[in-house]
Amino acid sequence: MYLELTEEQRLIQETAREFARAELEPVAAKLDRGEERETFFRNLKKLAELGFMGLNIREAYGGSQVGMVAFSVAITEIARACASTAVTVSVNNLVCDVIQTVGSEEQKKAYIPKICSGEYLAGSFALTEPGAGSDAAAISTTAVLVGDQWVLNGIKRFITSAPYAGVFVTWAVTDKNAPKGKGISCFLVEAGTKGLFIGRAEEKMGQHASATTEVIFDDCRIPREALMGKLNDGLHTAIVELAGGRVGIGSLALGVGLAAMDYAARYAQKRVQFGQEIAKFEAIQWMIADAYTELEAARLLLMQATFRADQGRSFYKEAAMAKMYATEAANRACYAAIQIMGGYGYSKEFPVERYARDARVTSIYEGTNEIQRIIIAKEMLKSLAQS
Amino acid sequence: MKILVCIKQVPDMESRFRVNSAGTWYEEQDLAFRLNEYDEYAIEQAVRVKEGLGGAADITVLSIGPDRAVEAIKKGLAMGGDRGVHIKADQPHQMDAWQIASLIAAFARDKNFDLIFTGLQSQDRGSGQVGGMVAELLGFACVTTVVGFELNGAVAAIRREMEGGLRGVVRLALPLVVTCQLGLNTPRYPTLPNIMKAKQKELLTFQAADFPVGDSLVQTEKMYPPEKKGRGLVLEGDVNELADKLAAILKEKAPALR
Ligand SMILES: Cc1cc2nc3c(=O)[nH]c(=O)nc-3n(C[C@H](O)[C@H](O)[C@H](O)COP(=O)(O)OP(=O)(O)OC[C@H]3O[C@@H](n4cnc5c(N)ncnc54)[C@H](O)[C@@H]3O)c2cc1C
Repeated sequence: MYLELTEEQRLIQETAREFARAELEPVAAKLDRGEERETFFRNLKKLAELGFMGLNIREAYGGSQVGMVAFSVAITEIARACASTAVTVSVNNLVCDVIQTVGSEEQKKAYIPKICSGEYLAGSFALTEPGAGSDAAAISTTAVLVGDQWVLNGIKRFITSAPYAGVFVTWAVTDKNAPKGKGISCFLVEAGTKGLFIGRAEEKMGQHASATTEVIFDDCRIPREALMGKLNDGLHTAIVELAGGRVGIGSLALGVGLAAMDYAARYAQKRVQFGQEIAKFEAIQWMIADAYTELEAARLLLMQATFRADQGRSFYKEAAMAKMYATEAANRACYAAIQIMGGYGYSKEFPVERYARDARVTSIYEGTNEIQRIIIAKEMLKSLAQS
Repeated sequence: MKILVCIKQVPDMESRFRVNSAGTWYEEQDLAFRLNEYDEYAIEQAVRVKEGLGGAADITVLSIGPDRAVEAIKKGLAMGGDRGVHIKADQPHQMDAWQIASLIAAFARDKNFDLIFTGLQSQDRGSGQVGGMVAELLGFACVTTVVGFELNGAVAAIRREMEGGLRGVVRLALPLVVTCQLGLNTPRYPTLPNIMKAKQKELLTFQAADFPVGDSLVQTEKMYPPEKKGRGLVLEGDVNELADKLAAILKEKAPALR
């Protein structure tokens, strides 16, 4: 048992932390108010140049190939400063990962280097639809082969980074008559393709700098070679690949939770009521103790899941556990942080209310925590089933 | 062009420091260590010189310290150093600036370095002496507190910061020791691929005992946190009155306004 990061992982963590402190933290509040869009894009580009968009991607495709543990600690550090930037980086990594895992050699060479280098500011993972959220197998977007082209029709919803994505990994029904979930395939659609429209942007509670919009396919024609992976086997890809994405979201939540508690705990040592610092009240101390203990447990679950991934072992259940626990610990930490700061926690003058808004969605996207619990229970019951 | 960069690993300055039981240094256990800030400017400048020469330079990054110092060396290599030199010393704080400089000079003496970059000082000890002593021991010229550096052939044009905010410009021939100050450059972040490549670069390891150095000339007798002075002064009253009071205090206490 050896619970330490390697030298390289520590240097990556330090690089992410220093970049986040110097470049992201000073603008995070402005990004939250919808200002400084250019700075947001510039920082994405810089992060790409440093190698943060393809942490688990092979060098041959322009990735840094540093593994999932490094991915987790990097996302946490970025999220401590700016959750919107962190989710963009996390989704970019997820998109690169999907293409690396199921894409053909040509597809990998065509798209992954562009996301890794920052030539594309982002890639999008377009699965969710109005009628298919948790129930991804219920998607109704269709892809029909007409001559040498696939024709896509349908609406995707809640798609992260869509307005500035260079490429979309998306899913559509290719066999209507197959049993549910068995007739879905995965496609690559380039931004600017005729018939691809970026729809309405969601007005969200938090993570404002990260755009979340509808994506509409209206007789969108893509070449036959845009099919990625095996025909009718696309949903499986989405489900397996989301394990990596979940680690990203758990790591993001951990970063936001830590940022909130660090701020509140420092505040508690300065704020005086009843003649003493409020940090001296046991009630405040217990909140601090509980929150940091939970965040530490979250960190260990994330390290466990990513360590397994780097060892080439399965981490499907572990990723679900880490995502579920970390995102809930982060939400509780944000709640406690506001409570510790009283009215000042609720005020926009301090960053903690933003952390709370940014943390909220982490228990929802990339599989709600109810879905994570279903996964965990299924895996546990399977392993304990009587043969 | 052969360049040596001397770096040190120091505690994160946001740490909480405690004096150790011997009362002569801080307790190192539980501290997070990182590369001395001024040494980042030194590495960056070395890499810029190399880039300015179209890559025709060889950069050695040297650190004296315990095993953990290798992490600082790796960062130097990830930023663009070509080779690491680790001179192992488990308790480097027990050596004074003279001994540290002697170790560096002993290593560097027969290596024909043209340029040696160091930080202005370390963030923990802060003696600011090592660079100057290395120059003296090697018979190199030395410029300290450098905020601008330009190389033309074998001549360096250097801007340095002097007391009272003055700047000086000096021009001198190599070989040369330069101690780097904040403002010299903006150190790059090491890219992730370069962090991974640093693993493959040459790392030479020596023991401090491999090099003969004399006794220390300075011993630390005692280390202690400064005594807590009274709380700050709180001025109260009418705004105009306050401004007058503040101005009077500043005039009395702050030399710049006199
Ligand atoms: C900011 C943001 C960004 C997003 N980015 C992307 C993206 O880039 N790409 C993408 O494809 N999607 C994205 N999503 C969509 C996200 O993944 C979905 O919102 C999520 O999967 C839940 O789907 P839903 O919103 O339709 O909720 P529903 O599926 O309608 O769920 C509603 C509630 O019912 C519960 N529920 C559903 N089924 C079950 C069940 N079987 N058992 C118990 N409880 C159940 C859910 O847990 C939830 O509490 C994003 C969403 C948001 C808010």
